[in-house]
Amino acid sequence: MADDPKPIISIRNVYKHFRNVTALKQVDLDIYHGEVVVIIGPSGSGKSTLLRCINRLETIDEGDVWVDGIQVNQPGTNINRVREEVGMVFQQFNLFPNLTVLQNIMLAQRIVRKRNEHEATQVARALLDKVGIPEKADVFPSKLSGGQQQRVAIARALAMNPKIMLFDEPTSALDPEMIKEVLDVMLALAKEGMTMVVVTHEMGFARAAANRVIFMDQGEKIEDSTPADLFDHPKTERCRQFLSKILAH
Amino acid sequence: MTDTIADARYPRQLFDIRRLGRQIVQRQLWFIAFIALDVLILYAIFTDPILVETWNFIVPGISVTIQITLWSFFFATIVGLLTALARISKNALLYNLSTFYVELFRGLPLLVIILIFSFVITPALIDVIASIPALDDFLQQLAGIAPDRIATTALRSRDVEETARITFAFALTYGAFMSEVFRAGIESIGRGQMEAARSLGMSYVQAMRYIILPQALRNVLPAMANNFVLLLKDTSLASAIAVPEISQLTRQYSSNRFRYPQGLLVLSFLYANLTIVMSMGVYWLEARLQADKQES
Repeated sequence: MADDPKPIISIRNVYKHFRNVTALKQVDLDIYHGEVVVIIGPSGSGKSTLLRCINRLETIDEGDVWVDGIQVNQPGTNINRVREEVGMVFQQFNLFPNLTVLQNIMLAQRIVRKRNEHEATQVARALLDKVGIPEKADVFPSKLSGGQQQRVAIARALAMNPKIMLFDEPTSALDPEMIKEVLDVMLALAKEGMTMVVVTHEMGFARAAANRVIFMDQGEKIEDSTPADLFDHPKTERCRQFLSKILAH
Repeated sequence: MTDTIADARYPRQLFDIRRLGRQIVQRQLWFIAFIALDVLILYAIFTDPILVETWNFIVPGISVTIQITLWSFFFATIVGLLTALARISKNALLYNLSTFYVELFRGLPLLVIILIFSFVITPALIDVIASIPALDDFLQQLAGIAPDRIATTALRSRDVEETARITFAFALTYGAFMSEVFRAGIESIGRGQMEAARSLGMSYVQAMRYIILPQALRNVLPAMANNFVLLLKDTSLASAIAVPEISQLTRQYSSNRFRYPQGLLVLSFLYANLTIVMSMGVYWLEARLQADKQES
């Protein structure tokens, strides 16, 4: 994005090891304000790990991660300040089962953003409207379908008014008929100009919403280009093979 | 199997007496037998003058038994929760200290711990306090001794009641047991919950307080109640240092009057009834949590 020269997320020369496996290897990535970046790759390629390094759910062994001008990997950094501005949506939803849908969306607003009850309720209800399930405000998460749970999880993250949203395989745990309702919410969010980093296997979403698609394999960033270029003219053999496997049928 | 056949033959009634009867015979007979035995024993006690005398001697000890149980359980819960949090902490000092404490107290028999607290630790602690006059005066004031009667180093071992010593011993022993219960409860909550809470900007303490602990405590409520029953029974060990609870009173009465059968009958009756009420509470709690889980 040429209009904003300073990246909102900057990943520099990052390495990460799990015991004797190298999860990330010399990864460099800049993400600019308003961009939608989709990360694809075979399982175990380090794409989720990379995403989780952005809000320090994983620590890195080498290199630097900057988010909105704050160096995330420095020990002295107050990581909670960073996380307030970075929403995250998980594969397994991770809603709080002991709280109702509304309480799920309100809790962090109250205790982290220090909003009053009235304001938090209003924000929560508005977001439930936005994700299309206002009638589920007072039920417990276990009463919802997977797609509904994931939409609540998105609303919960959005309630903090984050500058960036991270999605870690948000549709991988869903039944096929529920994938669309979640992707629709994500598409709408992308259209509003939210900065999004999405790890997914949904190539349709990548084509429709992404500004850039990153292909990762064995902890390395292999390709980084527009969806049209990457899907139709992959530059590397590894990417070509991966795409042929998932688009074969 | 037989249920379906019976259902086919007899149309379903609102109140199925046969089914209810069968259910009671299968699942509740023990309880009916228990109540029947209770009634029988109560009848025997109150028609026999000697047993009435035994009863009257022992029953006042119930309040001491219950007091020790409640206070010990209260402190054990606090100690257990803090220890559990220390044991899952990444801080090496906290982890090692708490693990040392748990392993030590789980490795010593309760009776030995009671004797140590009563005859070693309390006197030693008193000596330490007595060597600091200001602290000694302060504690005496706290104990309600009139200012003009306060003397330095006047606090003696005997000023510390047996019940207080026993409460320490029980609280620390059961604190060690219950820390394991709490730890298991906390670890039973999936990692995703903590990650979700932290990703929203909550601190570790906030995530524990609002997300992890409410779920964990709910899961371990039956195990806590179980520990409560065990603690109630273990208070009988307090008789070793002559705390006037029901076991001590029974020993006193039985050996003075040489009425062991009578004393032990009353004592067993009291313990069995105190614990059965608790056990019913545990069953009820488990059933409710199960129902809640299916509902929410």
